[in-house]
Amino acid sequence: MWEHRCKIAVSGVGYSRVTRLAEIPLAAHALEAVKGAVADSGLALSDIDGLATYPELPATGHAEVDGISIVSVNCMMAMLKLPHLTWHIQTGSVNIGGAVQQAVNALLAGVCRYAVVWRAMHNPKGTYQNLPGTHAHGATQFTAPYGFGGPGQGMAVAYTRWLEKNNQNREKMATLAVTQRKHGLRNPHAYFKVPLTREEYLNSRMVAHPFCLYDCDIPVQGAVAVVLTTAARARDLKPRPAYLAGYGQRLAFEVAGRIGSLSSYMEGGRSSSRLTWERSGFAPKDVDVAQIYDGFSASVIYGLESYGFCDEGEALDFIQDGRIELDGELPLNTFGGSLSTGRIHGLWHIIEGVLQASGRAGERQVKDVNVSFVGASAPIVQGTTFIFVKEPY
Amino acid sequence: MSDWSKVTRPIPVPNEWTLPFWEAARQGALKLQRCQACGHFQHPPYATCVSCMAIDLKFEPVTGKGAIYAYTIMYHTGDKRFAAAVPYASIIVELDEAPGALMAGNLLEAPYTEAKVGRRVEVIFQPLNDDITLPQFRLAK
Repeated sequence: MWEHRCKIAVSGVGYSRVTRLAEIPLAAHALEAVKGAVADSGLALSDIDGLATYPELPATGHAEVDGISIVSVNCMMAMLKLPHLTWHIQTGSVNIGGAVQQAVNALLAGVCRYAVVWRAMHNPKGTYQNLPGTHAHGATQFTAPYGFGGPGQGMAVAYTRWLEKNNQNREKMATLAVTQRKHGLRNPHAYFKVPLTREEYLNSRMVAHPFCLYDCDIPVQGAVAVVLTTAARARDLKPRPAYLAGYGQRLAFEVAGRIGSLSSYMEGGRSSSRLTWERSGFAPKDVDVAQIYDGFSASVIYGLESYGFCDEGEALDFIQDGRIELDGELPLNTFGGSLSTGRIHGLWHIIEGVLQASGRAGERQVKDVNVSFVGASAPIVQGTTFIFVKEPY
Repeated sequence: MSDWSKVTRPIPVPNEWTLPFWEAARQGALKLQRCQACGHFQHPPYATCVSCMAIDLKFEPVTGKGAIYAYTIMYHTGDKRFAAAVPYASIIVELDEAPGALMAGNLLEAPYTEAKVGRRVEVIFQPLNDDITLPQFRLAK
């Protein structure tokens, strides 16, 4: 087990407004979320001395403009003018989960005391995923000429392999979309405010087979944030903290331009979760509630299997029969997931994992939670996993 | 059958790793990067052999026969250049001689409904201009 388990905790969480398109600059969303997280902790902005984010704009073919389409650490520094800032970083290789893990490491190293991590997501005008221009450079030379644009198609191809190899039926995924939306209706910050029926899922238009509209999270403009600190300091703050029992990151690699490899998803998820299980000392059977990244629905399937919650080929059966309901055997994406909140990436999954562990999830609180699992990105190339607990051990 | 005649594809830009692949395709041959130390074929080309770390890599011909590893049927017309072909099949092919080396393509000369995991395909060549010819796939004869 990890010698640093339960030494770091997440305290406050914060949200900005979530809108379909930009009505105010993205920087203002990020500021709103960061201020909210700091206030939720009972801290003042001047207490914050660490900053971390993953600022990427996942939309392809759009300009990255700081403050408009991304919010860099530098942008946040300019807005906050923190008098006691001692540490900051932007991560690249493991998405927003990597930024959280770097903040954990910085706190363990003692180079900051209260770190804020935010994720701000922009929805550009026009088509979200464009092919490159007239020419395809770099890795896209092997994909874009065939009409492969954004990550959705890359995940769709792996999903057809999963479905046909396992003789499975995409209609079973309706249970995930419908159940998550039901959970999302108990989340006041979610984008979608109306239920989704099985019929609506099954009759919705196809985007990239086997993905229909409701297999894809809706692009939105918004931001969320968390405050991390040491367990000792967290106990003196306003909210009950959630203690970090362990984390992991994907260790499998993928060659740029090689898409659709189902085994890469599985190897990525297995490597990250193995570290998390070993460091925390827990196993999948110990988990009381799980948040698994669902930017595209199939990501949940790869997550459930590669993290070890069920065997390969079984995930679409595993999610049936009430198992992922709030009172089920494994309540899943209890905040509604990205399919309900909109595309804000995995920090919201981490926030929900924290709230469930600390007993702060309100109307959607799962009973008797101690072990709260989070898979914060698609397992393939950016995967990270976390376990938060209510009680240190 | 998808109508590809009105589709304007992005033109691949070869670089120092990939030029031999595109030169071979222009001449109607499929050549993949192969490690001269361990014999591993890989695609897309890379700086080192991802199997054994050797840097002695050469492009060698393959037969271009393989199976559909995975596919998607594209319905979304976000990028208007491909709208005329929707719905169309974008496929990932695993070649017999190069397990693990996944090649993207479109399934040509067949309705998109013929795309199925495991179905046998063979390479064909689709010229885009004088310099660039795309390897593509059709159901194996």
